[in-house]
Amino acid sequence: MNGIFLGRLPLSGKVFCTLYLVGIGCGALAAFAQAATAVGLSPAEVQASLAPEMPMTHMGHGQMSGEREIDLGQISKSAKVWIRTPLLIQTSHTHLFGMTLIAGLLGSIFLFSSLGEVKKTIILAMPFVGTILDIGGMWLTRFVWPPLGALVITGGSLFALGYVLITARSLYEIWLQKELSA
Amino acid sequence: MSRLIVRLLGGVGLVVLAAGMVAAHVTPPVVLTSDREAVAGLLSGSRRFFVREVRLSSPEREAIQKQSGWTPSEDFYRFYLGRDDQGALVAATTFMTEYTIHGPVRVAVGLGPDGKVKGAQVVELTEETYPWVKPLIDQDFARDYVGQGSTGRYTLTDRVRAAGDSMTQFYGQVIVSLIQRAAILYDTTVLKRPTSG
Repeated sequence: MNGIFLGRLPLSGKVFCTLYLVGIGCGALAAFAQAATAVGLSPAEVQASLAPEMPMTHMGHGQMSGEREIDLGQISKSAKVWIRTPLLIQTSHTHLFGMTLIAGLLGSIFLFSSLGEVKKTIILAMPFVGTILDIGGMWLTRFVWPPLGALVITGGSLFALGYVLITARSLYEIWLQKELSA
Repeated sequence: MSRLIVRLLGGVGLVVLAAGMVAAHVTPPVVLTSDREAVAGLLSGSRRFFVREVRLSSPEREAIQKQSGWTPSEDFYRFYLGRDDQGALVAATTFMTEYTIHGPVRVAVGLGPDGKVKGAQVVELTEETYPWVKPLIDQDFARDYVGQGSTGRYTLTDRVRAAGDSMTQFYGQVIVSLIQRAAILYDTTVLKRPTSG
């Protein structure tokens, strides 16, 4: 971009970008572990965490009560988080800010890649689109159609793929690519 | 070019700082026990288990709001009921949640057939609130409210008050209020309704 490429950054710039990319990678792994343990990584687990609670009895709409015998095995044995609307609001605002800022900073570094404009644009957009799909999917799962929980997985994967591509290409250009002619 | 790079990196640094500040507000949930474990513990002695789900009528919602200041907002509430072999009620359990500025606090409350509190257990909170609530859990805070019904006195006891700092006391009051809500809900929807049993 304007003759400035990652491979031409001064040493301090190269170290800064490298450490940032590595740090975000560590954060992403921690976030992955957190999502896996607190919610789960399958569409069914995401759906179970986000979809509105349905009656266990056959209490119809407008009925004041319902009761039926159950087996204790029908009660969830896994200590999983059930994301209700207030928690969804809290999660959305923090993650939309946080993930967009991370995507923005990844993109800021990747703007100086020597890759072609089309490829660069596609890769750079991935974390942003992934964030919107991820958080948007949570709301759609809760309020529109529970099977849309798959969007949450898709969005998270797209964010991760964008990060991996940006990081791999950036580190290659910073440390391995031979000097480009201006 | 070097000036441009310095400005760029400076801008990047500010973004990192902002991202860090935002990330600092993300407090992952901490689930202390599963629903099944909590229900099994609070309904101990029961031979058969039932789930009863109830909706509140407008007059019931108003009465609860008037009695406790709490405005029930869920579409329906769920009780797990434990009965003996003859079908007599042994105990009931329900889960109550409060959404605080630091995230949700979820408590399982056990009630006797007469609506008196039998026990309570914190099942979910957040990383941020856990250090404040832990002293209460360690002291078995719920012991002080056993035997109280919907009209009981749900304020912090001296023992609970002495368990920690002001934040511990704040969350102690939150949890105690959740216990009270469970007792009121049971009283309103199970004991006072003609179909109760």
